[in-house]
Amino acid sequence: MTAVDSPLTRSRGAGKALRRLLAVALAVWFALPLLPLVLWSFADRWSFPSVLPTALGIRSIDQAIAFGVVPALGRSLVLGVVVAIAATLLGALAARALTFGAVPGARFVSVLLLAPIALPPFAAVLGVNVVLLRAHVPSLVGVAMVLTVMALPYTAFVMRTAYGAYDRSYEEEARLLGAGRLQVLRRVQLPLIAPALARAAFLAFLVAWSDYIVTLIVGGGEVVTLPLVVASAAAGLGNDAAVALMSLSAVAPPVLLLVGVLAFGRRRTRSSKEVSA
Amino acid sequence: MTWAPVARRAGSPREKLRGALLVLPAAVLSLVVLGGGIGATALQAFGLLPVVGRPTPGVEAFTARPGELFAAVGVSLSVAAVSTVLAVVIGTLAAIVIVSRTRSSRAVAALGTLTVTIPHLIAAATVGLLLSDAGVLPRLLGIPPEAWAPWVGGPLWGAAIVELAWKESAFIALIVTGTLATRIQTYDETAALLGAGRAQRFRHVLLPLTAPTILIGAAISFVYALGSYEVLWLLGRTSPEPLPVLAVRLFQGVSLDSRPEAAAVALVTSVLALAAVALTFAALRRTAAWR
Repeated sequence: MTAVDSPLTRSRGAGKALRRLLAVALAVWFALPLLPLVLWSFADRWSFPSVLPTALGIRSIDQAIAFGVVPALGRSLVLGVVVAIAATLLGALAARALTFGAVPGARFVSVLLLAPIALPPFAAVLGVNVVLLRAHVPSLVGVAMVLTVMALPYTAFVMRTAYGAYDRSYEEEARLLGAGRLQVLRRVQLPLIAPALARAAFLAFLVAWSDYIVTLIVGGGEVVTLPLVVASAAAGLGNDAAVALMSLSAVAPPVLLLVGVLAFGRRRTRSSKEVSA
Repeated sequence: MTWAPVARRAGSPREKLRGALLVLPAAVLSLVVLGGGIGATALQAFGLLPVVGRPTPGVEAFTARPGELFAAVGVSLSVAAVSTVLAVVIGTLAAIVIVSRTRSSRAVAALGTLTVTIPHLIAAATVGLLLSDAGVLPRLLGIPPEAWAPWVGGPLWGAAIVELAWKESAFIALIVTGTLATRIQTYDETAALLGAGRAQRFRHVLLPLTAPTILIGAAISFVYALGSYEVLWLLGRTSPEPLPVLAVRLFQGVSLDSRPEAAAVALVTSVLALAAVALTFAALRRTAAWR
């Protein structure tokens, strides 16, 4: 992002106060829904009228474990990683061909890859469930397949933007200097597109990590991921502390990943600047 | 947010084969899942793919529950429209605040990005904890449950709309920030130099240039809200049911007869979503900045 704070457009006087007030209001809007997670997670008791929890403790951990949060967390992680790898790989291959190559029916392929954004997931899922059942695809494989397709719009988009800014003459030069195809891939292409690959993989992970309806229907009750466990707890009464704690454990991994991806991207840009300097 | 232009080179047969092989895995998988999914849904809806017995072509699945279907369309369209309008207004404001790059704007940016990464189901659970009648907000405000408006499961779908607006406003803030941070900045400065006030610059510079991004963001969040099952199921009421909830209930019902009806509801939702996308593209063509 470019620096945008310029003396020409900076707010002054009443405008400045208004802008600051707006910023505070927006910060509250984004942060307020997260407050229950923090307050409830470690509340052993919170009887009604009191503003803060009446007794702090870690009973929520036992409750969450009883709901099966640990294996669910593991399943969600595995599903997220599988979908991230599959969707990033397929998306990158397709994006490279669509950017540089001569693909028959290129426009149709582009629309096909973007289509999942324009369709309600449950509508395709009700039908695909029938197809997968008749083809005897195991439920876990089925869930991963559908989620990979739902992640493709994001990975293909990110990788097309990356390949759009990618200079293929580096590859030609490496070939000219005697590098083999694999060496070009490993030493030239992958390092150049690595930050985009990381961004694409993060988005694909997020699609799988966040999914509820595909896992519920295609998984047929066999693939119990974290959102499914939270949903069953949240639909019941009196599980507030467990719901809050399990929600926290669902919010944390993507945030940590995002911080990692951003740091990775920044390191890349810095090191490439050092090389070119 | 536009696709790089599709390479329209004729290419040698060898190049074409290579290109086809590279897109093949993604294209085949998408065709199986989307084509097979929507195809099977359509076949079921028109009675051509019964779970047991012979196919009985017809439109009975669409006409079996006219009242419920119309009510579902009404609820789904209104909830999606209201939450999308809120998300667009709040998200655009947030983007403008974020690009001003003050200390408070960085906090807004960080919180917005955090919000984007939260799964919708988790977001729905925490909005439920916040807004239910013994929730965190009435506790903080000291309002007794009987005086607290029925946000969760109420007739106005308050909690569901808040959840969708919250998550989607963060998404729209993210993509509009991306657009604002590009060349638009220099236009904004030029307009300021020429004496345009804040409101004028917003009306004549920022808004026209970000309109395509805002439209695309609005379409994505509208289609999402229309097809979102978990948010409306967890935070909404059981009657009238929105389209996804009605479809999934019919699909999971004990009687296999209701499967075609579930497929019909799913098909109606898909048509509404595609119509929204088509309208967006028609509107995009009319914006000045769309290339």
